[in-house]
Amino acid sequence: MGPSVAETGSVTTPREKFWKRNHHLLLLAPGIVWMVLFLVVPLAMMVYVSFWTQTTFAISSDLTLASWQAFFASDTYVGALLRTLRIWLTVLVVTFVIGYPTALFIGQFVRNKTTQTILLVACVIPFWTSFLIRVLAWRPMLGREGAVNIVLENLGLISEPIDALLFTELSVVIGMTQIYVVFMVGPIAFMLARIDGSLIEAARDLGASSWTIFRKIIFPLSLPGVVVGAIFVSVMVLGEFATASALSGRKVNLLGNIIVTQVGSLKWAFAAVIGVVLTAVMAVVITALLRVVDLRREI
Amino acid sequence: MPILRGVLGSYTALFLVFLYAPFIVMGIISFQSGPEGGPQFPIIEWSTYWYEHVLGFAPPSRVAPLPIGEALLRSLTLAFATMLVSTVLGTLTASAFRRRFRGSGVVFYLVVLGMMVPGVLLGLGMALVAREVGIQPTWWGTAFLLHVVYTYPFAFLVMLAIFNRFDPAVEEAAWALGVPPGRTFRKITFPMIFPGVLSAMLFAFTLSYDEFPRTLFTGGSDVTMPIAIYGTFAVEIHPNLFAFGVLTTLFSFALLSVYGILMAASVRKARRVTGVQEDIA
Repeated sequence: MGPSVAETGSVTTPREKFWKRNHHLLLLAPGIVWMVLFLVVPLAMMVYVSFWTQTTFAISSDLTLASWQAFFASDTYVGALLRTLRIWLTVLVVTFVIGYPTALFIGQFVRNKTTQTILLVACVIPFWTSFLIRVLAWRPMLGREGAVNIVLENLGLISEPIDALLFTELSVVIGMTQIYVVFMVGPIAFMLARIDGSLIEAARDLGASSWTIFRKIIFPLSLPGVVVGAIFVSVMVLGEFATASALSGRKVNLLGNIIVTQVGSLKWAFAAVIGVVLTAVMAVVITALLRVVDLRREI
Repeated sequence: MPILRGVLGSYTALFLVFLYAPFIVMGIISFQSGPEGGPQFPIIEWSTYWYEHVLGFAPPSRVAPLPIGEALLRSLTLAFATMLVSTVLGTLTASAFRRRFRGSGVVFYLVVLGMMVPGVLLGLGMALVAREVGIQPTWWGTAFLLHVVYTYPFAFLVMLAIFNRFDPAVEEAAWALGVPPGRTFRKITFPMIFPGVLSAMLFAFTLSYDEFPRTLFTGGSDVTMPIAIYGTFAVEIHPNLFAFGVLTTLFSFALLSVYGILMAASVRKARRVTGVQEDIA
């Protein structure tokens, strides 16, 4: 900031000086207090409670590792952890593979700003329907007599309806992909649209093929978008439980689903252990992704 | 290149079909005949029964009505309060970031963490804290606190982007001309950041209105709309949900249109302010 009136003109007392130098602290205080009390404290509480003693009917604050041992000794829990990781990776890869070409088209091939905006808005419009209703809308899509089977049968591509579409891991992946793919497309398209056109022209003048241009210029420059998209998708998929319970008929249990069940039966310590495991997974994933790109620089 | 363009264009069209398909199916099935028609194909007979059901005009049947009155009112109240508080917090924090200060990185990630932590984890943590402190979880208490934790980072990022493009010289000119800070804020700063404030408000409102993992353990016994819908997951679903989905989508569009109009008006106003400056210069 440039010199202000107080510094150049009138006399300032030490109190005013202190105030001038530190008034940003006052602006920051409410936000910091809110986040520490209602974000950091609850998360710390979760870690603390994960060491409490859980019996069938009660929980006490005597510290023990029993819940942790129970988690890693149980096939159900470890299985859920592996399943969560598997579905997260699948959805991440699928959203990238499906989303990138769309982002490439919107960001690089549509040069008209208005058309670009219209296409992006078209991608976002489905989000104005409640998340849970969007999840439920996949049931009439994927069922034995669902829209997908009807269309495929009418096209003559299949003679028998496909059963595996609903209440399987596949339906969970399909549902999550449709719900979260836009979070991949948006950031990538945004980065692609920012690429200076003369860079590509120069490369072409120097005789680079389209593939080389894509590999050496377009893709590396879109990478921050990919990372931001990957962060969005990872954060949302890792904490998911609603899509899994609605589209798998409660057959596919993710860590999130197990937390909900444990809380439902007042097994707070077990729920907390799973919560901490999930937090750890998230932290590793996000930190790894942030190593590739500095999020703060991209805003 | 033109071939590639064509291929990618058709691909994008297919992609949009994929995005919209469940949405269209939802619209079709909301016109299923009632009260015996289920949420699946084929359509037995087209009717507006499920719309009447949602709005409470249909005769009582075995399908429980959606708690439109109370739950919806709670959701809207919660979203409105969340919107106000998180926009104010976001604007305050972002305006502190207009100058460099020590520890800004820590504060940045502390705030952004609020949108990164999965809702179910925060919900669990807050439920544990409430249990320990001995307070009853309520939608206007514990759930509200978490809604702000979730939407405040969005408001902060939006305002940060706005302030990054903000020219402080205009404000300084006003101060140099002896305009008091309060008046400068009202007449100069606020109109210039208003589009950002609107976006932050829209973000916060829509995110909070549709938020359920954070509300599930912290909302108490009075349900908000998303929790009421989540409750139907455990039982049979009926086309009334889809009719409700169609209606709320229309409502969202209305909201979005209001936002668009306000946005256009404020952009025009901001242009007028800078236009006046150019005249003086």
